[in-house]
Formats: sequence, C-alpha cells, structure tokens
Amino acid sequence: MSGVVAGVDIGSTTAKCVILGEGSRVLGKSLNPVGVDIVKDAEHALEAAVQDAHLSRSDVAFVTGTGYGRYKVYFGQLVVTEISCHARGANFLFPGTRLVVDIGGQDTKAIRINERGEVVDFAMNDKCAAGTGRFLDVCANALGCDVGEIGPLSLQARHAVKVTSTCTVFAESEVTSYVSRGKDPKDILAGLHASIASRTLSLMQRVGVEPEITFTGGVSQNEGMVHALGRRLGVPVNVSPLSQYLGALGAALHGWERLPGGAA
Amino acid sequence: MPETGGSSETPGGAAPTFLHDARSLQRKLVEEYYRDLEANERPRRPVAYMLVGGNLAEILRSFGFEVVFPEIVALNCAIKHQSLDNILHAESLGYGLDVCGYVKNDLGLQDLGGKTSFGRIPRPDVLVCSFSGCYVYVKWWEALAESYGAPLFMFDVPYMREEVPRKEDIDYLVGQLWELVHFLEQRTGQAFDMDLLKRVLIESRRAEDGWVEFLRAGRLRPSPIEAYFESIFYMFPINVLRGTPEAADFYDVVNTEIRARVRDQTYPLPEEKFRLLVEGVPPYTNYRAFWDFFRKWGAVSVVATYPKVGGLFDRGFRHDPARPFESIAEYSLGAYVNQSWPLRRKIIADYVKEYQADAALIHGIKSCRSFTAGQGDLRDWLIHDQGVPTLYIESDHEDPRYFAPAQIKNRMDAFFESLEQRRAVAIAGGRTPA
Ligand code: SF4
Repeated sequence: MSGVVAGVDIGSTTAKCVILGEGSRVLGKSLNPVGVDIVKDAEHALEAAVQDAHLSRSDVAFVTGTGYGRYKVYFGQLVVTEISCHARGANFLFPGTRLVVDIGGQDTKAIRINERGEVVDFAMNDKCAAGTGRFLDVCANALGCDVGEIGPLSLQARHAVKVTSTCTVFAESEVTSYVSRGKDPKDILAGLHASIASRTLSLMQRVGVEPEITFTGGVSQNEGMVHALGRRLGVPVNVSPLSQYLGALGAALHGWERLPGGAA
Repeated sequence: MPETGGSSETPGGAAPTFLHDARSLQRKLVEEYYRDLEANERPRRPVAYMLVGGNLAEILRSFGFEVVFPEIVALNCAIKHQSLDNILHAESLGYGLDVCGYVKNDLGLQDLGGKTSFGRIPRPDVLVCSFSGCYVYVKWWEALAESYGAPLFMFDVPYMREEVPRKEDIDYLVGQLWELVHFLEQRTGQAFDMDLLKRVLIESRRAEDGWVEFLRAGRLRPSPIEAYFESIFYMFPINVLRGTPEAADFYDVVNTEIRARVRDQTYPLPEEKFRLLVEGVPPYTNYRAFWDFFRKWGAVSVVATYPKVGGLFDRGFRHDPARPFESIAEYSLGAYVNQSWPLRRKIIADYVKEYQADAALIHGIKSCRSFTAGQGDLRDWLIHDQGVPTLYIESDHEDPRYFAPAQIKNRMDAFFESLEQRRAVAIAGGRTPA
C-alpha cells in the first residue's frame, strides 16, 4: 500500500486525520478533542484513522501535519498551514470554489483561491474568539442546550432578536439579558447565528466575495449557521459531511503531491 | 519611532557573520549616549525632549542641548522587555487600553522615576513638540508639560498633500523656527549662533549621504542589507546623533562593511528567496521572533518605509548649510508620517519598482492612531491596483499583550506558502504543479 498518505490537522479544539489512497479516495478518518499533550493527540489521531481505514501504521507512506499544532506532528514529513490545506481540500471537494470560509473553534478565516486550489488572499479574525465556534459553545451553555441542538433550534425561530455583540467573554451575559427579557431561546439563537454571519461576511468582503463559496470547519456542521450564512450572502454555500475534515484532507492532498508519481 | 538598538542582543538568534564593525560601533554609540545622559550632572547641560519625525535636533544642538527622544526610549524599553511595567503603570494612572504604547511607556516610566536598565532618563528643561504629523504628539507633549511643569514649544507642521512643499508653508515654518530660537535664547540665556548651526548642518548632511548609500544597497540582487531589521539598528545615529561628526563617521563604517559584503558575497541569508517591502512600525517587544518568521522563509526586506520616519533622505532631501532654516522647514514637512496617503502610496509604488520587491508586508500597530491608520486600504491597493501580494499583520510596538506568536506565524507561513506555490506555477509555465 505505498500509495497511502495521511493528513493530520491539530486545531485549537480538535485533532483530525484523513487517510487517502489511490485515486485520492478517502480510506479512513478520525476526530478527537485535543488535550494538553498535543504530540500524543496527533499520534492518536493517526492511529484512529488508520484503524478506521483497516490499515496498519506502516501502510502510510507520507504524513503531512497542519493546524496550530502542525509542528507537533513529529512523525510527519511535511508541514503546511491549514490555510493552504483548506484551500486545497475545498478545491478537491468542490472544484468551482473561489472562496473558502472556515469557522473553527477559535478562529474564522476567509480564503480566496484560484482554480488550482492555491491561496490568492486570506483574512483571519484577530486575537479574539468573537463569532467563532467557542462563542456558540458558550451561548449553548448559557441557554442550557447541547451545542448540537442549537443550529436546528435556530431554524425554528419566528422573530429573531437583534444581537449586536459576538464577544465570547460577554456572550453569557448577553444571552442571559435576552432570556430575562422573556425572549424565546429559538429567537435568541437565530439572532446569534445571524450576528456571526454578519461578522463573517465582513471578513469575507476583505478578500472579495466570489461564488462558489465553500463553508468548512467545525461550525459548518451547524445547519443554522449554514442557513444564516447563505441568507446573508444571498447564495447557498457548499458544505460537505467532510467539511470538518477539510484541513486534514488538504494536508493529505499536499502529501500526495510529494509522493513519487503522486498527483491528486 | 525608530530604534536605538540599545539592546546588546542581536535579534534573530545567532548573529549573522556580517553584523560586525557597524553593529558594535552602533552599540557603543547607544551606550555612550545613555551614559552621557545619566552622567549629565555638573555643569549640567540643558535637556530637551523632542519627537523623531521632522525633528529640529540641529537647532537644539547648536544651543548645547542634550536631546531626548521619548519614542526611542520607549522602544528601547520594549526591546529590553521593560515596556509592559511602564504601560501598566500608566494604565493605573488612568490612560486607557487604546492609548499609544509610546505615550504610556513614557508617562509610566517617568512617573516611576525614569530608571531603565540602560540608564536613567533625565527630566526635560524644555519640551519641543517638533512635529505634528500625528495628533497624539500634541496631546502627549501637553501631558508632559503639565506633569513636569516644563515650558513647551509647539511647532505646527502643515500636512503634506503635494510632493513639492508650498512657499507659504516653508515661510510659515521658518517664522516658527525664529520663534523657537527666541524661545531657546530666553531659556538658556545664550545668543543664537548661526555659524555654529551651519557647522552642525554640514555634519547632518554628511550623515544623510552615508545613510542613503546604505539604504540604496537594498537595490542590489541579492541585497547585501536587511532593509527593515538591520536598518532599525542603524537608524540611531541618523535620528539621535544627526549633526555630530560621530553620526557621519558611523555611516562610513557601515558602508565600508556593506562594500565588503558585496565583495565577499556575504548576504543576510544564504539564499534570497523573496524580496520584501515592509511598511509599519515593528513589534519591538518580539523583535527577534518577528525577524525569525521572515528568515525561515528566505525572505529579505530590501526596502522599508519605517526607517524613513526620521526623514525621506533617500528621496533626495538634504539639510543645507547654505539655506539653514529653509532646509530644516522642508525636512519637517517631508517626514514620512506627514505625507498624505496618495503621496505615501506613490513612495511605496516607486520602492516596489526600484527595489524589485516581490511582495509586501505591513505591520500595523493596535494602539497607533496615525502611522497605522489607512494601512488596511494600503493592503487592498497593493494587492488589487499594483498586483503586489501583501500580508497585513497586526500587533503592537510596545505592548507585548497584543503579540500572538502562533497566529502571526500562521499568517506568515500561509502567506509565504502561497508565494512559493505561485512561483512554482509561474516557473512551470502556467502548468499546475499537482
Ligand atoms: S504615529 Fe502612532 S505610534 Fe507614533 S506617536 Fe502617533 S499614535 Fe503613537
């Protein structure tokens, strides 16, 4: 199995791994929370994905690390930023993609790409977790919901409240103030999603909004957010069940190109 | 705004072999400057506080003043990791989070007694707000005047919207310079000596010629100089000691060394992969880490705007002993921060061409209200109008709390990755590398 490569994406909250085989087929994947020992988390991510692919570690010919913990993927042969990896991954899943929007646990990125999946320009939120996955976690907690429920609940809203702040630090008090004013949690959730969409749009505008737009990162699994973003943009956004793995997938694709005779 | 390079460390890890004579002489000049300031006892020379941009050092020097530049003291504190204590102290006095870090370092430091690891900074006898390109300067100097009870001279410099200064503006400034002379005569009891000023200006001009020769070396391929990080070390004499023979002699040493580098093919990096234009004040608190982020990618800054805050000498300006006050007035008008955005953009576009820059990097300062304002638009203009790939990074010059290494490194890495990819595609003649 010499044509097997792996991409390991160590993000701020989760570690993901994708195993690719001949024809760039996804053979296996894994997703685990990251703890304090990033080196171990990276190893576990690879092991779990290898198992998922019913392979053994020695079958993997090339490993690429990406994400904030990319330099801790000691067993890897290549390190690429998640910006390049999301670009590559989005181009692979949706070749018409010109703009990638990635909302992860602690940051948001807008990446403009060309037809080859190369980065043309990018913008990221600054040293602040406003409007990211972490913000939604805190809001879900404040409303006593599971984070998996908030997207579907937001879609049932009738009169979305107007939320102005997406500050993670003040999220709890913001939510509590709406609850104490008797607002329906579904309407609060719809307002929260819409405010993140607005904030994300301004980031996207910095690099230029051009369809197709592919939405990636953990928050892309939230259907309320997919809806809010599409509505704000006026065009639907691409999402895939693999969206959360796009960094790891892109890393694997970068690795694939390094294999002798490799072409994704 | 510039750097004294008072640090005894060489940023960026192991010292590149070329940082020898010039760098050790620069260190010596810095150390002597601060030592002299601290030892300025009996008979005590008067001390003037001034700003770097468009400064009036020659006039003050002709009156025998010791000149202190609080911006330079502030960035020296930052590079020595001493700025945060001063900033926190200023915040405890009521200065807000968004007040310029230079201001807070200065006010905090003085309220704590003026002691730094490189010497005690004396109190001012006069305050010359020598420049008004940033409105923060005016308020800062007013706050200093109030806290020291020192007399304040405000030099009002009109903003530049045209490349060639107008005669009315020059006349307006020359009039103010005569007022300054009168102000200083009253404060010192000394008569103004025009001949002495002219002699000082001859030395200034000599230093300016040498400084420009150094900066222009960035046009060579590969560049024998690091036009951002290295220039910042060598800015000290042109900004702080300009008008002294030591400053002029210093650039002779620098340029001898640069010529030797070209002869011996000793360059800032073994391989110059990317030639960068850099705009903006550096993150002094993490200078070393910031430089490393560049070097790792084989990126050399061949031209930078920041070393021009003390004067756009490379655009042709020189102090002129034959037209002393007029040339000082032109100098003040021509400070980089005093240029309107269309003029600043023109300078940058010219630099990209003259220095064959492949890409641009802008470092914005969170707490800056002037130099940084408009840099977001500059980024867009460089990318869309000029076709220059540009990265915008934000942190702070003084406040280490704003420097997020992982995020900055991530942006840098992604930027250089995309440049490498584009280059590979171009080399492959437009074919996809995959
Ligand atoms: S230009 Fe910016 S950094 Fe300089 S004094 Fe003004 S606000 Fe501070």
